[in-house]
Amino acid sequence: MRTQPPITCNVATTHRPPAAPPFSPEGDKRPWGVWAAIFTIAVLLVAAFTAVEWDFSSLTDPDQRRLALGRMWSWMAAFRHPDFSPEFLRHSWALTLQTLSAAVIGTFLAIIAAILLALGSSRAVSVGEENLKGWRRDFPLRRPAALFCSLCRIIQDVLRAVPDFVWAVILVAIIGLGPLTGALALALNITGILAKIYSELWDSVDEKSYEQVRASGAGRLTALFYGIGPLAARSVQSFTLMRAECAIRNAAVIGAVGGGGLGSDIWYQIQFGAWSKVTTLLLFTLALTLSADLVSNFIRRQLRSDSNHPRAVRTGSLFRQLARSYVAVGVALAIVGWSFWFMGWGNNAPPGQERRNFLLPAVELVSGEAWRNISFFERMLQPEIDLAAVGIGDADEVEARRAAGTSVNLFAEYGPLSAWRPAAWRAWEEELSHWFGWRVIKSAAVPLAMALVGTLLGVAAAGLLSYPHSFSFMWESSHFTGESPPWWLKLLRRLQMVIARLTGLISRGVPEVMWAFLFISFFGPGLLAGMMAIAIHSTGVLVRVFSESIDNIPYRRFEQSFSGSRAACFGLVAVPVAWRDWLTYSFFQFEANVRTAVVLGIVGAGGLGFQFSFNFEWFRFEKAATYLMMIIALTIIIDRISRLLRFSRVSR
Amino acid sequence: MRQKFFDSLVLTMALAVMALIFTPLSVSAAQAPDKITIVAIPDDSAENMREFFGLIARHIEAATGIPTEYVHVENYAATVTALATGRAQLAWFGAVTTAQAYLMMGDELEVVAARDIDKEFISYFIANAEAGIGPVSDLKELAEMAAGKNWTFTFGSKSSTSSHLMPRNFFADQSGKRPEQVFRTVAYSGSHDVVLQKVANGEFHLGGLGQPPYDRASAELQAKAPIIYTTPKFTNYCFATRASLGRETIDQIHAALLGLHESEEGRQALGYLKSEGFVDADISEWMGYVELLKSGVDIGN
Repeated sequence: MRTQPPITCNVATTHRPPAAPPFSPEGDKRPWGVWAAIFTIAVLLVAAFTAVEWDFSSLTDPDQRRLALGRMWSWMAAFRHPDFSPEFLRHSWALTLQTLSAAVIGTFLAIIAAILLALGSSRAVSVGEENLKGWRRDFPLRRPAALFCSLCRIIQDVLRAVPDFVWAVILVAIIGLGPLTGALALALNITGILAKIYSELWDSVDEKSYEQVRASGAGRLTALFYGIGPLAARSVQSFTLMRAECAIRNAAVIGAVGGGGLGSDIWYQIQFGAWSKVTTLLLFTLALTLSADLVSNFIRRQLRSDSNHPRAVRTGSLFRQLARSYVAVGVALAIVGWSFWFMGWGNNAPPGQERRNFLLPAVELVSGEAWRNISFFERMLQPEIDLAAVGIGDADEVEARRAAGTSVNLFAEYGPLSAWRPAAWRAWEEELSHWFGWRVIKSAAVPLAMALVGTLLGVAAAGLLSYPHSFSFMWESSHFTGESPPWWLKLLRRLQMVIARLTGLISRGVPEVMWAFLFISFFGPGLLAGMMAIAIHSTGVLVRVFSESIDNIPYRRFEQSFSGSRAACFGLVAVPVAWRDWLTYSFFQFEANVRTAVVLGIVGAGGLGFQFSFNFEWFRFEKAATYLMMIIALTIIIDRISRLLRFSRVSR
Repeated sequence: MRQKFFDSLVLTMALAVMALIFTPLSVSAAQAPDKITIVAIPDDSAENMREFFGLIARHIEAATGIPTEYVHVENYAATVTALATGRAQLAWFGAVTTAQAYLMMGDELEVVAARDIDKEFISYFIANAEAGIGPVSDLKELAEMAAGKNWTFTFGSKSSTSSHLMPRNFFADQSGKRPEQVFRTVAYSGSHDVVLQKVANGEFHLGGLGQPPYDRASAELQAKAPIIYTTPKFTNYCFATRASLGRETIDQIHAALLGLHESEEGRQALGYLKSEGFVDADISEWMGYVELLKSGVDIGN
């Protein structure tokens, strides 16, 4: 075992060899986990393509393809003429500032709330070491602290499963209309996301690596501050910045309920087909994305304390070395400070409104008066389960449903013994469809299929793109290859990198909804358009973190195995070293994509999200609540699977 | 020690939850507001709505002396929530949203005024010019024509009256079938204007939308998506408010709206609203919609 002082995070570490596959007891060296994973993904893919209806006709039918291409071109051509009139530029600029300040406030509040919530939902912090094995380890009733931990986890699952526009509508009842409402809705949603990530990362720190802290008498919180926290700090920081960027670039909820926001304005302008305005707004979004990327890169660089890093600053006075983290924290705090100032006292008039202090409504959160309005949503607590259809509940009602022929009579045609006949399954499915609950469960297939295929495509594309995207392989490769390329070759490589980075920037800077609309004009509304949107957007998000983890590998790991080809070195050395990190990011992305897919359902792909928003907007809260329960259940299931398989890993 | 810490934490949480649940619920008493916030359902471009509802807000402010502001909201449900919870005092609703608000608020909802054209509103069914779909005398004929043709259809917004509920309702009444049973795809493109655009450029074969947005559109666009059917008349938009504002304030707003044509701002706004002026209206004229919603009318899911 490596010895390392656990208290500092400034430890020289190399990447550890990949951890043993999950579930394998000591001694079992067979890598069956890989095959199990490949098999599972293959089965899921088959399921995704059979369980829901994919309409490929605009690809296979030549006539339709020609029409679809024509539509897409005319759609793209509409983007050639951005609206650069001075007043619209002023409008967009005001929206940009508004978006930035609301997103930063939302993320800042979310980080604080998420850390507090993660204290509860992290098993390492709230429950501690246990010698339990097997299912007992995950049984919530084993101790009060464990129950508390599960409760916190459910809270964070609910926070991120409920779409942000729903939080916004609920908050309208509590604190009224305005930009702060959007910011708080965003904060609630991001709290759920970050708390999940923090608690999962903290839990993935090996107990052994902080047992010295515990052994020296530290309590649970002390162990977090001096053991777990520093060890997970690098990943926590990376994910936090990634999330903050995400919030800034496509938070459509800012401005949806009064006040301005780029994301919501794009949504809105799309609805009215004002493409020239959409183009301008998109350009502003891209500029904002780019600056957010650059600033977060700067903060990352300043906070990088790994002296083993290829590009670590090793020289310089002690003052300069120490000042770096203060500079980074200072910059971050300055941005947060500006955001609060802007929202409260700056020239913050959203279009058509007067400048005023938009922070004031927050007072209503503590006055108590406002909370009464929440009873407006009371009906959400009584989801419609439609038990009458399955013969439970009021006898008269059950009888009425049976008479109407809309109750479930599962074995009417085929008994359980004819399970070998496909026709029997079809008949059972049809019978089950009489039950509202089953239709709700079935509607989850759409976002799941969309997210699964989309994520897989995105991961594959991001993996390929991360080679030209990587700084170490395109810009500084001579550090480990030993070659001294001529100037034109250097230029060519740098050009490749710039192009790859631009591709990544555009595919993540353009909101998913935009991509969805582009592909809807080609494929027509449906799964395929949503899936493509998710794939493109994931590519952009993932390529950034993928190549970041490649760039974090010390060059001497490449040096010793370099055999003349940069591509071979990338594929055979860099990718295997970064692979575990890639898996972690990909699974988090899949989780996020399922939620995106729920939202994209609203745009026309159908399924769970469409049904939910439909019922919610028609104030059929009981039905909406049932669909919401399904969304939450989906989130919880994916989260528990990821924890069980330990997809997250702390990388340092 | 640690155990105790977490036990007390659990206890605190439980107490907090109880406190939230048992907070007494009460209805705020009637009082003249110190500010009027206007919201409107988002069925036109943000610039238009900000400009013209801003004009109406200025007119009301001048007439009543109460500071008035239009806040642009981009979600149908949020406008209803805002009025029902007292976050807005005046709301421009369609018929569906009026009925939804009535179901939420009961007699607390008071309709102040409606446009002259709102009492006899119509919707159009339009078809792509190249699809070869001629005018029909009723929707049963359309449903029969559509059989086996794989046509696609688009409504406007889900919560809209004239671009969703009424076209759907007339279709179901006349043909005895749901649009989903007749057309290959039934989509919601978001707004009246986009229905027209998408039918005109051939993305959808057919669409349904309200009258004013179609009449406002250019002749070129109208030629690409001709009307194939005009629905019977129905009641639509209105200005609604909360009874708790007090009789006096509501009467002031009522008078201000009815006198909209008297001010320069008001005339501009009326031009945008395609109306001669506002007239008296009462919630009873929207009760048909309330019954329709209560009956669990098919809304496409």
